[in-house]
Amino acid sequence: MFQSHFSVIILLAWRGLKQHAFSSFVAAFTISMAGGLFLSTWKIKEEAQKAFVNSSGGFDAVLGARGSKLQLILNAMFHLEASPGNLSWEQYELIRDTRGVKEAYPIAVGDNYHGYRLVGTLPELFQQHEWKTGRKYEVQGGGRIFSADAKEALVGDFVARKLGLSVRSKFHPYHGLDFDEKKRHEDTYVVVGVLEPTGTPADKVIWIPIKGIQKMEGHDPAAAQSVSAVLLVLRGAAGFQLDMKYNKQGNQATLAWPVAATLASFFDKLSWFEDILALVAFFVALVGALIVFATLRTVMHEKKREYAILRCLGASRLVVTCVVLAQSLLLSLTGALGAYLAYGGIGFTAAHLIREQTGVVMDPWSLDLGYLAFFPIVIVLGFVSGLIPALQAYRSSLSENLSPKS
Amino acid sequence: MSFLEVRCLKKSFPSPEGGKTLVVDVDKFSLQFGTQSGMKGESGSGKTTFLHLVAGILKPDQGEILLDGREVSKLSESARDRLRAESIGYVFQSFNLLQGFTCLENVLLASSFAGQVKKPWAKELLDRVGLSQRMHYYPRQLSIGQQQRVAVARALANRPKLVLADEPTGNLDPKNGQKALSLLKELCRENGSALLLVSHEVKVIDAFEHQLRWEDVNQVPSSTIEE
Repeated sequence: MFQSHFSVIILLAWRGLKQHAFSSFVAAFTISMAGGLFLSTWKIKEEAQKAFVNSSGGFDAVLGARGSKLQLILNAMFHLEASPGNLSWEQYELIRDTRGVKEAYPIAVGDNYHGYRLVGTLPELFQQHEWKTGRKYEVQGGGRIFSADAKEALVGDFVARKLGLSVRSKFHPYHGLDFDEKKRHEDTYVVVGVLEPTGTPADKVIWIPIKGIQKMEGHDPAAAQSVSAVLLVLRGAAGFQLDMKYNKQGNQATLAWPVAATLASFFDKLSWFEDILALVAFFVALVGALIVFATLRTVMHEKKREYAILRCLGASRLVVTCVVLAQSLLLSLTGALGAYLAYGGIGFTAAHLIREQTGVVMDPWSLDLGYLAFFPIVIVLGFVSGLIPALQAYRSSLSENLSPKS
Repeated sequence: MSFLEVRCLKKSFPSPEGGKTLVVDVDKFSLQFGTQSGMKGESGSGKTTFLHLVAGILKPDQGEILLDGREVSKLSESARDRLRAESIGYVFQSFNLLQGFTCLENVLLASSFAGQVKKPWAKELLDRVGLSQRMHYYPRQLSIGQQQRVAVARALANRPKLVLADEPTGNLDPKNGQKALSLLKELCRENGSALLLVSHEVKVIDAFEHQLRWEDVNQVPSSTIEE
């Protein structure tokens, strides 16, 4: 421990901070909070955006009633928001048979079960569609996909766990997208399968045959031949052609394409909130740096005599200066590690909330350059905060602090 | 040849009135290898300043301090730091132990700056001053007398050629003072270190064969300094 100057410096720095444990803790804690906030504001938005884009369920576009593309995507892919309107069955058949459309699945919404959405669609969605390259939907052991004409349901993994549904469970759907126990339908559905988890919004849905929604007791008979939206997988440049046809020249329907760009515009709308958080985080970081500075100045001031004693024992100015700098590095190192922990807590909570609300699985732990660069940045900032106290230690007079004038 | 030689040494400090107060004016002073000298002087008469000048803590206004053949005042600050680390041990009146470190660590620290850390020697020193059972105690857990004994052990940690002791018994009761003094003299003798001790106490100085009066060494009357 005492064999090298380096180990002596680290020991002196550590013991110095230990003697001022409370101030040191406050300084490191403030850095942790500031750093955690910084990481959170930046990484969570980025990861959430990435997670949403990756959770499009293998679809390239959505065709729906004339209106907002974002609302269409949120409604049809993420099962959020209300449907902007309906398309006729003929419109579905028309796009299905259009050249360049590889897959087309109509969906119908309008009912729920204890707040979880019932989505009507075709059984082919679960037989043919790849929700991720090379991955088709799978049904958990003992289950199967619903029949197109039966009152059967295929339940997403998340809903099954939340509501305790399993194969052979029976339930009555409720009218509307929000749960209201007075709006119970008389139809009885039987769960025939539970989907394997996908980490996409499909996990949060109770899937039933599209005819089930269209012909549910109490629904408007006029809606029996309509669909809420059509989920599309496209070939080649079909997106451009369909965009031209539906969005620029037509006025009957809206094609939400490309999905990633529409989602990016959604996140751009939240950028003001991100800016506010970044500003808050900046000021917290500033306060953190000032606290490190104040802590080291206090430690330095209170240890002037101790440093003078060390000098008297033969420690050089450089050693004493390095002790102060090492203290700033130790504080910032602890703060940076704490920041990752704080971010871990915030990130975990955010990922949990996003999963609960949308079914989208976010990975807050993914490594990237910025995430890794954060660590040395905090260390450098801590080092800079320690420069002035270190300089004061360097310049402090040995003889004056030993009070020799006698 | 003398181990320590001081010639025409002067040191003054700024006075509150804006002028300068001469504190040390030593025409000639010397100390032989391995000798032990006790120097008596009144409190506030400049003895500590003289020790600080010898240790290279302060730079003189003029004059020469030759320590083991090296002119201390002409050395750079880092060279003076090295000199203290390698060749000088210092015992303070108020012990000046580092409170965040155990007895053993205090002793080890003193030798670390010279790059000659020897744990067995540090333990032996603490054993010699009767603290082998309290090596891992912190200073606040020790009595005043025990703290000064740690300070004595620390002063010898780097096997110095010169030990400077500034009123080492000033804060101790007579019994503990006598014990600390005996240990200091004994350890210096065993180690071959020269010892220069300054004190205002007659009893302390009487323990030395070689005795000096600060008034005879310093040409500045103490009344002038106090003014």
